[in-house]
Amino acid sequence: MELSTVTSEIRDGIYYIGFGKFEEKSLTVISEDTLRELDHLFTEISSDKNAKGVVLFSHKKDCFLAGMDVSVIQSLSSVAEASSGCEQGQAVFNKLEDLSIPTMALVDGICLGGGLEMILACDKIICSDNKKTALGLPEVMLGVLPGFGGTYRLPRKIGLATSLDYLLTGKQIRAKKAVKLGLADAVMPKERMIELASEYLFKKTEHEKSIQDSLTEKAAENFLARGIIFRKARQTVLDKTKGFYPAPLKILDHLENSFGKRRSTYLANEARAFGELSQTSQSKALTHVFFLQDNAKKMENKDQISSVNQGAVLGGGTMGGGIAWLMANSGQSPLLKDINLQGIELGLKQSGEIFSKALKRKRLTQDDFERKQRSIQPTLTYQGFKKVDLLIEAVVENIDIKKKVFAEVEEYVSEDCLLTSNTSSLSVNEMAKALKKKDRFAGLHFFNPVNKMPLVEIIRHKDVSQETIDKLYKWALDVKKTPVVVNDCPGFLVNRILAPFLNESAYLLEEGVSVEAIDRALLNFGMPMGPCRLMDEIGLDVCAHVGEVMEEGLGARAKANHLSHRAVEKKLLGKKSSRGFYLYDENGKQQEVNPDVLEILPEDSISMDETTIQMRVVLPMINEAANILDEKVVEDAQTVDLGLIFGIGFPPFRGGLLRYADIEGLDRIKTAIEKFAQEVDSDRYQVSKYLERLVIDKKKFYEA
Amino acid sequence: MKPVYLVEGKRTPQAKSGTVLKDVPAPYLGHYLIKSIMDNLNLPSDQVDEVIIGNTGTPAKYPNIGRVIALEAGLDKKTSGYSVHRNCASGMEALSQGYLKIASGRADIIFAGGVESMSSMPLLFKEEMAELFMELMKAKTPQAKIKVASTFKLGHLSPVIAIEQGLTDPFCGLNMGQTAEKLAREFGITREEQDEFANESHRRANMAQAEGKFTSEILPTIAGKKLDQLITEDNGPRKDSSMEKLAKLKPFFEKRTGTVTVGNACPITDGGSVWLLCSEEAVNKYNLDPMARMIDYHFHGLEPERMGLGPVLAMNGVLKRTGHKLDDFDLVEINEAFAAQVLSCLKVMSDSKLASKWSVDVLGELDRSKLNVNGGAIALGHPVGSTGSRLVVTLAHELAKQKKKLGLASLCIGGGQGGAVVIENLKV
Repeated sequence: MELSTVTSEIRDGIYYIGFGKFEEKSLTVISEDTLRELDHLFTEISSDKNAKGVVLFSHKKDCFLAGMDVSVIQSLSSVAEASSGCEQGQAVFNKLEDLSIPTMALVDGICLGGGLEMILACDKIICSDNKKTALGLPEVMLGVLPGFGGTYRLPRKIGLATSLDYLLTGKQIRAKKAVKLGLADAVMPKERMIELASEYLFKKTEHEKSIQDSLTEKAAENFLARGIIFRKARQTVLDKTKGFYPAPLKILDHLENSFGKRRSTYLANEARAFGELSQTSQSKALTHVFFLQDNAKKMENKDQISSVNQGAVLGGGTMGGGIAWLMANSGQSPLLKDINLQGIELGLKQSGEIFSKALKRKRLTQDDFERKQRSIQPTLTYQGFKKVDLLIEAVVENIDIKKKVFAEVEEYVSEDCLLTSNTSSLSVNEMAKALKKKDRFAGLHFFNPVNKMPLVEIIRHKDVSQETIDKLYKWALDVKKTPVVVNDCPGFLVNRILAPFLNESAYLLEEGVSVEAIDRALLNFGMPMGPCRLMDEIGLDVCAHVGEVMEEGLGARAKANHLSHRAVEKKLLGKKSSRGFYLYDENGKQQEVNPDVLEILPEDSISMDETTIQMRVVLPMINEAANILDEKVVEDAQTVDLGLIFGIGFPPFRGGLLRYADIEGLDRIKTAIEKFAQEVDSDRYQVSKYLERLVIDKKKFYEA
Repeated sequence: MKPVYLVEGKRTPQAKSGTVLKDVPAPYLGHYLIKSIMDNLNLPSDQVDEVIIGNTGTPAKYPNIGRVIALEAGLDKKTSGYSVHRNCASGMEALSQGYLKIASGRADIIFAGGVESMSSMPLLFKEEMAELFMELMKAKTPQAKIKVASTFKLGHLSPVIAIEQGLTDPFCGLNMGQTAEKLAREFGITREEQDEFANESHRRANMAQAEGKFTSEILPTIAGKKLDQLITEDNGPRKDSSMEKLAKLKPFFEKRTGTVTVGNACPITDGGSVWLLCSEEAVNKYNLDPMARMIDYHFHGLEPERMGLGPVLAMNGVLKRTGHKLDDFDLVEINEAFAAQVLSCLKVMSDSKLASKWSVDVLGELDRSKLNVNGGAIALGHPVGSTGSRLVVTLAHELAKQKKKLGLASLCIGGGQGGAVVIENLKV
């Protein structure tokens, strides 16, 4: 058989099977061809009388195997097809497991999903000392489960309770930890792994399990204790996912039912569970989101675009500190300039807090903590700005001040320095006017808190160069953010769609719907936070201001509510004043609904069914997204969905706002908006021309 | 010899040990000074030849702190780095070595300075305890281990204080304060004279702070457990210093008969300072604008029990080398290890009998308006490894402000030595 995905070489009776030799991309994935070739090889080895052992390794740098090709998972169109696909893979790995000669995997780089499932069938696993070496089963993140024997072999190797932790979260295991867990047998220097393989392959090894580990394992064999383990795990899953995601629950069901069963039964159950999960809407949506993000990461000529060596942040504060953290964490030793020391200290505090937490969780060593936090260079002057490659301005949100700052800054930076503003509401076109050299300027909008929110909006204006956009895009990827490119408009992409979400919620409150009812409805829709709670988080004064900006920019359809103004008058500013729609304790933890809020709400409350509340809030978002596409603020529906999932946490299991609309049917959506136009407000529910056109053309957002 | 330029000199704020800078490991009292100087100049990071750092309380974690600082500062990995130790003059020794290398044409660009975290000087195990540990490690069987362990006595645990040992001269057995007491006795310097000198040091330092005179030389340091505080000023100067308050303090080193108190001596301190030294070629090539020229230096030894007179011998030496007279200098820095010690120096400098006793020329009366114009170590503190270069930083910045020409910096060195450096201000 001609091998096209793996290599095979026999030395001293040992089969060395290598991955990634023929893969041009940076990650090697398992394709159907890989499985076919491995099947052939394992069959050949089992009948080779002279075979002494098998060693699996990778030719590729930093990647052993990145798992099954996700497009294969996406293409599965029925439960039966998916299950039988699993069975084929399982059969191949069973052959590996059933070989009578010793087998061993040398893992250098990442080994995920199907890759890990394969090596779990080996007698030994060796990890390299490469920092990038990590093992994991991320299938749950795509709404499925490991279908090539992973659910069978991982618990057997590291114990039921421990394996749940990894099967249910998809998190990765580093080399040393893998040895500690008993998943891997040893860590070796990557340069010498192959050389040491022939010897180590035949060496007897024994796992020394700690007393605690063996006790936990014993407990899992006990029927009652097992029940407790599963009950607890199920509770944790429900707390975390609120029941929106079926995969983790299915994993628990499958593991509980299959516990102690023979391999064939266990694997058959696994294949069936995989098949069922693969056809759920959630899995389809999560796979869709995976590709959205994967596409966003792709960039042509990325290597030819220069990187940022030296960053600078103007303005300490919460956002400035967060951005300084981001740059410091990525080795760009940012200058942090403010007009006073208090401002700088505020920024240092923000960054120091994030680094200290990482230190506490052992994600950072004390040395790296010192090094990274100290790489932030506090300054009150523009000294050293000549060497800055990327400057991010995060001063007070006031157009005159920002313009003044940029005019000033331009005197101190080099010709090629990228100048950006972290504005959330001001016109980037207007700001550009302050500069002499406008092509190197753009908006760079981060979301709070910077360390947690993955999205960055790169905002164009009419004089910006493509080179600037490309450089910023690459920078965002380098600092592990998800960038979207947006044309200048009020609220840009995310806040513009968020605005009707908040505005309509406020109108609902004015109509007499209760705070609890609104938040509950949207939480049940899958939003990470109810709109009232979110308004508290943003600050009601900011909401009132943004409302005005939107109305001014977009006209009648963005007519601002009056409620937020009334709240501000009553000094209900939200979380920052500990009082908004809810009360907050001194640690900022949400308490009950603020009784004072009733004073600004209508006396007679009305009850509205949950779906109506959801539609009142979500439909204007879809409508506004259509307007955004009409105005070509962003390129396509994908960008809108990416922005909303990573910017405001629009539920990933719905695959995005516009994908949700496509699935619901655009004609139905249009009819529902028109109905609200008659019943509620004809301006706010004015159907977007773009949406109308799609309905007439019988197209979807994703087909436009 | 080729000319040697002092291009840019910076220092950290100096803080009394155990206060705001106590958690800052010694390398981080130096690395960002270099980084910041580099950021402000158009100097490629791979063109620096060497980093030389003075440090006395070598932290166990950083045996060669000079190299650590070079790397942490982001200089190219090929930049060599080492550490020097000449007690209180370690920073000056670093400058001198940099000077020689450039003057002789072996190097063009050197960072030299000093760092000291006196807060982190360790407590050591007694020898008996260390031996016990060794024996324990050697013992193979549990029985042998128990046998060794049974020799343990509680007294083994009383620690040896490294800083106390370091400040005691091994040759004459006196600690530094006692050498100051000796000078006070021998030169008849009274408690009042010492307190007055100390009070003046605080007054000058307070005034300099109020006028923002140190802002050009100090780069703020990030400190605190979470590294979220910014230290911008020296915390030594006492706003409320007065003769009455100083008079109330008890003598520290000779409890009954002494005159040296913690008030008229310098406090133990954390801090760092760094200079960029360049050859003329480097100055021209990279279009640099040096602050000053380093003209020459001199070190000199004397009896350890009178180490406080070191500056006189060192100044005498450097004047001879450079052909200058004391009067030629516009500003002079003599490190204030102890008020008694500086006052003794002034006496020897101007008294012909005393001068001949120590085989130096009569240097002359030193105008106090030229000496330590912004206060000295009594107020500002004395981070031992750094002070030698810190004095030159302060001196150069003050010369530049006053647009004066010649400066002299000198200090006494524990162990019985003195060091002195002559610089010429170019910012006129």
